[in-house]
Amino acid sequence: MTPRVSLVVISYEMKRELPRTLLSLSPRYQNCRADDCEIIVVDNNSREKPDAAAFAGLNANLQILACSKPSPSPVGAINEGIARARAPLIGVWIDGARMASPGLTNACIAASKLHDRAVIATLNYQLGPNVQRISCEQGYDQAAEDALLASIAWPQDGYRLFEISTAEMKGGPGGAMLESNALFLPGSLWGELGGYDPRFAEPGGSAANPDALVRALGLPGTQLVRILGEGTFHQVHGGVSTSSQVGAGNALKEASRTYLRLRGKPLVPVRHKGWTFDSRTGEVGR
Amino acid sequence: MQPIKYDIDPQVLRTWMVNYVCALLGLDAATFSTADRFDVYGFDSVEVVIMAGVMEEEFQVLIDPSQFFEAPSVDRFVAMFASGASVG
Repeated sequence: MTPRVSLVVISYEMKRELPRTLLSLSPRYQNCRADDCEIIVVDNNSREKPDAAAFAGLNANLQILACSKPSPSPVGAINEGIARARAPLIGVWIDGARMASPGLTNACIAASKLHDRAVIATLNYQLGPNVQRISCEQGYDQAAEDALLASIAWPQDGYRLFEISTAEMKGGPGGAMLESNALFLPGSLWGELGGYDPRFAEPGGSAANPDALVRALGLPGTQLVRILGEGTFHQVHGGVSTSSQVGAGNALKEASRTYLRLRGKPLVPVRHKGWTFDSRTGEVGR
Repeated sequence: MQPIKYDIDPQVLRTWMVNYVCALLGLDAATFSTADRFDVYGFDSVEVVIMAGVMEEEFQVLIDPSQFFEAPSVDRFVAMFASGASVG
């Protein structure tokens, strides 16, 4: 049976974070049938590989693959995952440390019906009282995050993640968007795009994720659809762009330089609002 | 870190920054206020850091992105840069 959506999740040294991410993508949490959603985890050479047996209790249609050509960049792992995906709609998690809100999968499926060439961007949040590059300098760490999640009794009501998180986009859901960390495209569009660009070979992928969004929106006839009322929520795990302000600034600056060299133009956040799909009301803003 | 003073004409840098920001935001360079903070016209911190990277490529200089937050306008950044204090 062909699933309705494939989720490609990249894992690297996420022993603590991946179980929560996968729980948040599981059929029960996402209120969908296991057959509807396949989850493809591609591990990018973690010292301790994720074990599918450990997630059997999720009753998910889950595959855990080892990247055949692991590298510091997640791009190769992403493209392997996309190549394995069978559903007509494919969502990519470049960072497997991102948990989802409970209606994200169904919202993206619904949004994909709005336009044949929908580029569906979910919005990024970070757990904690501020974006993590700031909160980590003020004492926020994995223990604080565990306590925060316990304070909302997660996963009882996954929407309470919004209460304990910070939006990455300062301009609100319709504001300038650099990237979407759960980007959904029809499989055919991923094919046209050629997946992620492997020339973004730096650790973390540099500007590969913003680049994928920009290139997707540059394909003829595509339509941006922003998902409201859902999101992905970053768990702190020592990544360079979320651990300190200096690290984040330097990582983004280097990504900007890399992008300029590869594309011959500056990296520019997406400023047009496109359409919106509100998962809570079903309302479509055009 | 010891400040480095680059041999870049402040007016060239000012013009470049104005053109960059105006092109990005669709503003008129002729009426652009170089004294206003970046965030006044909707140029957020992410875009400021991206501009730092582009500036490094354009002028072959090194820029500490945090200096944009200490000098958050075209005028203040150009002045800091010209003094040699804006580079890492």
